[in-house]
Amino acid sequence: MTYSYIGASVERDDSPFLDGSACYVADVDREGQLYARVVRSPVAHARIVSVDVAEALAQPGVITVITAADVPDVRIPIRLPMAETPDTHKFLQPPLAREVVRYVGEPIAVVVAGDPYLAEDAAELVDLEFDELDVVNDVVSAACAGTTLVHPETGTNLVATVPLAFGEVEEAFARADIVLRDRLRVHRHTAVPMETRGLLAEVDQGTGVLTLWGAAKVKHFTRQALSGMLGIGRDRIRLVENHVGGGFGVRGEPYPEDYLIAFLALRLGRPVKWIEDRVEHFVATNHAREQEHDFEVAATADGRLLAFRDRAWCDQGAYVRSQGILPALLPALHMPGPYRWQAFSVETHGVLTHRTPVGTYRGPGMTEATFVRERMLDRLAHELRLDPADLRRRNLIESGQLPWSFKPTPITYESGDFPAGFERLLDQAGYADLREQRDARRARGECVGIGFAAYTEIGGIGPFEEARIVPRPDGGFVAHVGVGSLGQGVETVLAQIAAEKLGVPMEAVTIDHHDTSELADGFGAFASRATTLAGNALALAAEDLRGRAAAKLGVPSADVRLSGGQATAPSGASVPLADLGEGWGRFDKPHPSFSFGAALSLIAIDPGTGQVRVLRHLVLHDVGRAINPKLLRRQLAGAAAQGIGAAVLEELLYDEYGQPLSTLLADYRMPTVEELPDIEVIIEERPTPANPLGVKGGGESGMVGTPAAIANAVADALGAAAGARLWRLPLTPDRVRELLRPA
Amino acid sequence: MTYADHRADHHSGPQTRDSWLEPDDRAQFDLVVNDQPVHVRAPARCTLADALRQQGLIGTRLGCEQGSCGACTVLLDGQPIRSCLTLAVQAEGCTLETVEQAPPSRELHALRRAFHQHGALQCGFCTSGFLMLAVGLLRDEPDATPERVREVLSANLCRCTGGVPILRAVLAAQQELTGGDR
Repeated sequence: MTYSYIGASVERDDSPFLDGSACYVADVDREGQLYARVVRSPVAHARIVSVDVAEALAQPGVITVITAADVPDVRIPIRLPMAETPDTHKFLQPPLAREVVRYVGEPIAVVVAGDPYLAEDAAELVDLEFDELDVVNDVVSAACAGTTLVHPETGTNLVATVPLAFGEVEEAFARADIVLRDRLRVHRHTAVPMETRGLLAEVDQGTGVLTLWGAAKVKHFTRQALSGMLGIGRDRIRLVENHVGGGFGVRGEPYPEDYLIAFLALRLGRPVKWIEDRVEHFVATNHAREQEHDFEVAATADGRLLAFRDRAWCDQGAYVRSQGILPALLPALHMPGPYRWQAFSVETHGVLTHRTPVGTYRGPGMTEATFVRERMLDRLAHELRLDPADLRRRNLIESGQLPWSFKPTPITYESGDFPAGFERLLDQAGYADLREQRDARRARGECVGIGFAAYTEIGGIGPFEEARIVPRPDGGFVAHVGVGSLGQGVETVLAQIAAEKLGVPMEAVTIDHHDTSELADGFGAFASRATTLAGNALALAAEDLRGRAAAKLGVPSADVRLSGGQATAPSGASVPLADLGEGWGRFDKPHPSFSFGAALSLIAIDPGTGQVRVLRHLVLHDVGRAINPKLLRRQLAGAAAQGIGAAVLEELLYDEYGQPLSTLLADYRMPTVEELPDIEVIIEERPTPANPLGVKGGGESGMVGTPAAIANAVADALGAAAGARLWRLPLTPDRVRELLRPA
Repeated sequence: MTYADHRADHHSGPQTRDSWLEPDDRAQFDLVVNDQPVHVRAPARCTLADALRQQGLIGTRLGCEQGSCGACTVLLDGQPIRSCLTLAVQAEGCTLETVEQAPPSRELHALRRAFHQHGALQCGFCTSGFLMLAVGLLRDEPDATPERVREVLSANLCRCTGGVPILRAVLAAQQELTGGDR
């Protein structure tokens, strides 16, 4: 009996979420646990004159209060080699502020008490005295001479410059019939998962092993980072992933608190628990996206794209965190998108400001780059009197031109069919009809617009994943993987792959992604990589078992059939799968892959209030191969919903003193069912040759084109003159009303 | 009356002294949770959400503790409330329903199934609150229009699905509960 699960819309088991038994980190308790409360900076930039903990320490129930003086001078390291430069180590964050605070929310002290309410009370009594300093709060001027320095000893607010160049840019601009140039700005916003971060650390007094519950995303790297910072062996640290209430890129990176809570548990010899509150979350957990671009595009009169130049300033916040220079690198890698440029030059700068550090949020860099490029393409189409769809049709890379490389840059498109995908999106939307509807509504006085965007997305980042398939005593198998689950259903998808490859029913496979002690290495759940990397590693682990069976049966591996828990040779001789020991697989992926997608939006503006309402929204993505189309659609729709929030509602605002103005869910407006349409998802399946399963990933894709498509739709609704002035996100009612007024 | 007035009042006369609790004074009181009597001993300032969670009812989640996200929604005497904004002592003598209810009410049963079938959850953190919000709605207003259901569901936040699948699930459960005559 064979089982075919790959490509099937298997429903996941979500009963623990429906009966309340799901166990998030806040739900884990250990005997004798203490509660930590972090004292954070209330000012954006200041010299710390004194931190007086005496009164806090004297409060009932308080066990200890630590400050920078109590912890070694360590820094949180960078996770990805590609995101590190020789200079980045100068800007890394200490777990507790040393002498200077650089953003509102920076940890200064930690109070530990026997009760969470008492810990919070006592934290209020830590007496902080500051000598306040000027703040840097503008990305464009941050790196200019004479600006206050965030880290004075480095002599600069410039973390890194990412240059990318392809072709003869000057020559291409010289040949152009038309050149358009503008500033475009993407605002600060972030993931805001419904569960805040949280940790619980305990040291086993017998073995000395430190267990940290509350891990996510990149457990193995966080273990490595903690090992270095705490000075204890990796084998003495175990990170456990519980149910995770959403991640979207921000949860699970190593943060100051990961170190502090582990440090306190080691120091106190008692379990220590910390659950971030929502106000903390808004200043402590990574922000994302804020950047300004100076973009110039050159084209011919008949709408052939020739070249672009982009200079950008990308906010890193006050420190470089574990994701290094990704805030500047990823926009650069995505700026060309799916078009046949003859030349381009990109120069993105990662700069420091006195604000919460920046990391990655679903669709990082690509969402920003897509907004900048696609907005300018619409402007260009308008100047050339072309339908924006026609402009893109004339310039998308043809399928016969793949693989396409912008050498010497690392940007390579290996597979897909961009024009076919784009046409499919327009067909599904009924583009011609939609335009007629738009025009009819306009004739009735409504303010409606259509917009779209095409993009490329990097995914499947390596370097590798391993998988172990271990027989269970009951005849089933446990498959250990190094990726994580953030609520997207990856356990189900990986079980489908493992079960099909092993020839057993899905019920016989348990996916274990919870514990770093079960697998030597793992790189985690980011960059839409979990299914690609861990899925292929599982397929290889199943192959390993087939190879073992072949050796036992004395036949070539290709002749062995796995089914019904048996490995069978053509002769009929068989051996039980459970008798073959462990299967092990490792899938290496030295190069990331790019995939194609597009989004289309129909919006209406309320001219009275300036409110943008998304009436229809479609997203299309080439996922290579859909292992579970149903779960994949939900990922694309969910990401698009976040993209709608990013485009018209959400913004992390600061005042001129670096004080955050969006620290409540009441200030930071996320979309509810009232603001969202039923998102239409189109899955393209054009398998990639870059991995045996052919998958490209899709966890972030619904986000990438969404803000750009909405912005273009709003510009379309506003009409030529006002639309051309649309240069920044989000399109909140006040900004839209401003655009509605004559210039 | 403001908090300060309360304090002044308390210190002004001996009559009120007995009934006044300092924030950390423990109160003892009885609740009925999911049809079971529960005796609670909690500080006066303990929120209902924390008190329930300390009873092991961890299905009531805390997403903001500011009354914005609704993950902590439970039913108090049949009405959906934010248990993060309610003090445990305020629930004295009240009947509470949480997501753990077993056997589930007919509304909760139908909603659980519909949530599963319609992909109304991903990470699941907001799910308990949405389920209880919807139980309250479908019990109180069994014939609520889709517009009304949408309006009520916008009280809570879901970051993974955006909420449209939740709307679809609640409408499906409503149809099942009303025998499909809508």
